[in-house]
Amino acid sequence: MAPWLASGLVYASALALTAGGITLLYITTRTFNFAHASMATWGFYVAYTGTVLYGGSPYRYFPLSFLFGSLLGVVCYVGLNRPLLRRRAAEITLMMSTLGYDLVLLSGIQIYCDYLTHTFRLFPRRVTMSSYDAEIFGMSASPLILPLTAILILTVFHLFLAKTKFGISMRATIENPLLAGVSGMNSDKVYLAAWVVGGGMASLGGAFMSMAMTGTPVMGMMTLPFMFAGAILGGLYSLYGGILGGFLVGLAEYGAVYYLAMLGGPWVLGYRMAIPLLIMAIVLLVFPSGLAGLPWGSLPRKLAGAMRGVKS
Amino acid sequence: MIITLLVLAVLAYIFFTGGVPLLLTILLDFAIFSIVTLSLNLEVGHTGISQFGRVIAVIAGAFAVGAVPGRLLAWFMGLPHGAEYADDAVNYTVVPKLTELLASSVVLSVAFLLFSLILAAVCGALVGWLTSRPAIRLKEAYLGISLLAFGDLMMWVGHNWEPLVGGTTAVFIPDPFRVVWAYRFPAAVGTALVLVFLTYVLVRRLTKSPFGRALNMIRDSDVAAAVCGKDMVKLRTYSLMIGSALAAVGGAFYVIYAGTCTAVGFTRLTWTFWPWAYMMLGGIGSDVGILLGVLVLVVARTLILINRTTLFGFLMAWGIDPMWLEYALLGLVIIVVVLFMPHGLVPAKVEPVLPVERVRQVAERRPSEQPDSA
Amino acid sequence: MNINRLYAGYGKFKVLFDLEMEVPANEITVVVGPNGAGKTTLLNSIMGVATVFSGDVVYQGKRITGTPPHKAARMGISYVPQMGNVFAGLSVSENLQMAGYWMGKNELNNRVDQVLDMFPVLRQFIGRKAGTLSGGERRMLAIAMGLMRTPKLMLLDELSTDLAPIIAKRVMNEVARLRNELGITVLLVEQMAKRALEIGDTAYLLVSGQVRFRGKAGDLLRDPELSRVYLGIKES
Repeated sequence: MAPWLASGLVYASALALTAGGITLLYITTRTFNFAHASMATWGFYVAYTGTVLYGGSPYRYFPLSFLFGSLLGVVCYVGLNRPLLRRRAAEITLMMSTLGYDLVLLSGIQIYCDYLTHTFRLFPRRVTMSSYDAEIFGMSASPLILPLTAILILTVFHLFLAKTKFGISMRATIENPLLAGVSGMNSDKVYLAAWVVGGGMASLGGAFMSMAMTGTPVMGMMTLPFMFAGAILGGLYSLYGGILGGFLVGLAEYGAVYYLAMLGGPWVLGYRMAIPLLIMAIVLLVFPSGLAGLPWGSLPRKLAGAMRGVKS
Repeated sequence: MIITLLVLAVLAYIFFTGGVPLLLTILLDFAIFSIVTLSLNLEVGHTGISQFGRVIAVIAGAFAVGAVPGRLLAWFMGLPHGAEYADDAVNYTVVPKLTELLASSVVLSVAFLLFSLILAAVCGALVGWLTSRPAIRLKEAYLGISLLAFGDLMMWVGHNWEPLVGGTTAVFIPDPFRVVWAYRFPAAVGTALVLVFLTYVLVRRLTKSPFGRALNMIRDSDVAAAVCGKDMVKLRTYSLMIGSALAAVGGAFYVIYAGTCTAVGFTRLTWTFWPWAYMMLGGIGSDVGILLGVLVLVVARTLILINRTTLFGFLMAWGIDPMWLEYALLGLVIIVVVLFMPHGLVPAKVEPVLPVERVRQVAERRPSEQPDSA
Repeated sequence: MNINRLYAGYGKFKVLFDLEMEVPANEITVVVGPNGAGKTTLLNSIMGVATVFSGDVVYQGKRITGTPPHKAARMGISYVPQMGNVFAGLSVSENLQMAGYWMGKNELNNRVDQVLDMFPVLRQFIGRKAGTLSGGERRMLAIAMGLMRTPKLMLLDELSTDLAPIIAKRVMNEVARLRNELGITVLLVEQMAKRALEIGDTAYLLVSGQVRFRGKAGDLLRDPELSRVYLGIKES
């Protein structure tokens, strides 16, 4: 495995989960969830706290991360999102409200870090979680386990949506909330479920992410544009598109940074923020409906046409 | 009204307990963020653009002032002015010489200040034009996120590309206020307040003009505006250019006053999210409200900051820095405004084009019974 | 069902003004009127989708004003909207399953069978996505979904849109059969006024959110002035 690919796979799985969560919340509640940033960071700190204070492999605490994220999601839905949805608030208002929630969570993270430092003499502000990683076949386990876990979770979620009655009602509500309501489905429950799953995916994604990069209190805040880029690449209206989009953005970021740094020198590393922007620009200008709406057959012709358009 | 009195009372309290320097600090913060927030309100409140990248224009102004005027001065003086100007060892010796030069002449200082601000405005207008390219075709949320990512990128460019503004270390800026020596601080605050006044007058005149009403039109319904013959692309572009130029002036004045320009200081938190909170508290679309919103929150932040050891001493006992409560304050302000007072402290009023009396006359002229639809 | 002094609309927008209406049990009540008269808003406010400013909707002696849609559905009111009345991304069988969302498994399967017997043509599309059906097939699926809930009151919005005239006629007859055989109360909103008034018992003419006519459906059909101006029916 190329050196970048190992952590790249972990990071890409993390982005797949978070971008999937963003997409899920957007297609159910019309909310661009800014709080994904700090929800992810909280997920990381839950796993970190468990590993450092109670020992064992970090993986043992990943389910806890998921649960904690779900809890944060439920609080956000009940306290903030539901009253606004009932008032039929505009998309931008919904977005601002989650921004406020994100900042409150960020404040909580910082306070928690100070508490850990003071009480347990830890250094929670720069954490290398991968040093706690287990080993399989003589190499670190996370590049193998985490993508598989992500695939497993997404398969379970897919089966839930495709086969169970509540899953189908979720798809129905996403597609046509009015008809779902008059058919007797309670959209409240569906939205609550979306926040449970979406929040859990955000926090678990954050825990994944800390296995690939240095964990800091602003880890989620820094990677938020990448999560959104993944969701936009996926087309925003397709859950599976969002998941795939996040994965591709993650791989593209690590691959591009690695090879460009080899070619041009380490200074490239500072400009990785250009990558989500570039991806978003390409998506929005060339194929606005993202991966999901891509006409896979006629793509080469369309790209050629776009190139000609740029030249002329 | 009550809030205004309350704020004035608190200001008086601060004056008597903290003295003049504290009052001046508050006024300076108020001035700089008022400029930035008024410009944000022009784009968000009056034009309906979801500007989540206010920091872009602020950075444009700040970086321009950090990089260009000092170099020009150094060039006249025959001092190092190339890429090495931003190197911290060189910068540390060169800039004090430039400041000395400025201190020797009032005319030169004023010229330097004016040149810097105009340069910032031009650079701001340029990035405003640049961001208007996607802004005319994207939906609100897409646009917000793209601008947010672009703002982050700008900050990282400044952080990594050393020749611009020193990269990880700060670049110093020649001080045009040194010429008044002991009165440096009041002079800076006075200038800032004059800038706020000018910005306010400009924004008010703009929004009351036909141009401003056209902006309101495309905010409320771009289709209706297009039908009435308003060129949406052009109007949005102008609004973004003017707004960004103003915000750039705000950013430029901030670095001139601070005397240094550090790239990592320009986060989306400070220069995008805080202005949004000020605007939402004051009332989106209401220019008077903006001033009040900025004042209320700046005073609140300062009060927390100066009393943090006494008010939040119990937190210190746990090793927790009360500084973090500022994030919570920002978040809670946004949440409370969104949930309980969506129109802010001073809701934006619909201002009729004609005097009320005249509107009533016109209305009375209309036949009372509409003809049957047959 | 009774509607008393109803003012309703969306957000701050009022569409209906001081509406009085009676929907007698086991009858077809037809609401006709030109575009923008507020016919769909009327159905939406019964179902709790639109905002009700004042006034009451009384159903089976109970005040149901402002009840959320999913509760109204469980009280036996079934609404077939004009647009977006099937889940395009779901298969036909999933659509029917969703329409009887709160039923038990056995009851659900029985009901699906009964409904498919009424619309046998749907059987051949049972696994297909509803989005791939033709307009007429979709409309039939929508009505089938409405019937899934064994309704006591059916609110039908613009049944004849998307349908070929001959099928529209068949669907109308089907509605008449529902009243005759199952004793369902129907509130039918229709642009194709002539056919609807023929099968209807009571009729209301709605113009600009206010009732302009109430009475026997046949009387409205025979009123030369009203039917010419508002319904486009030539005197015969």
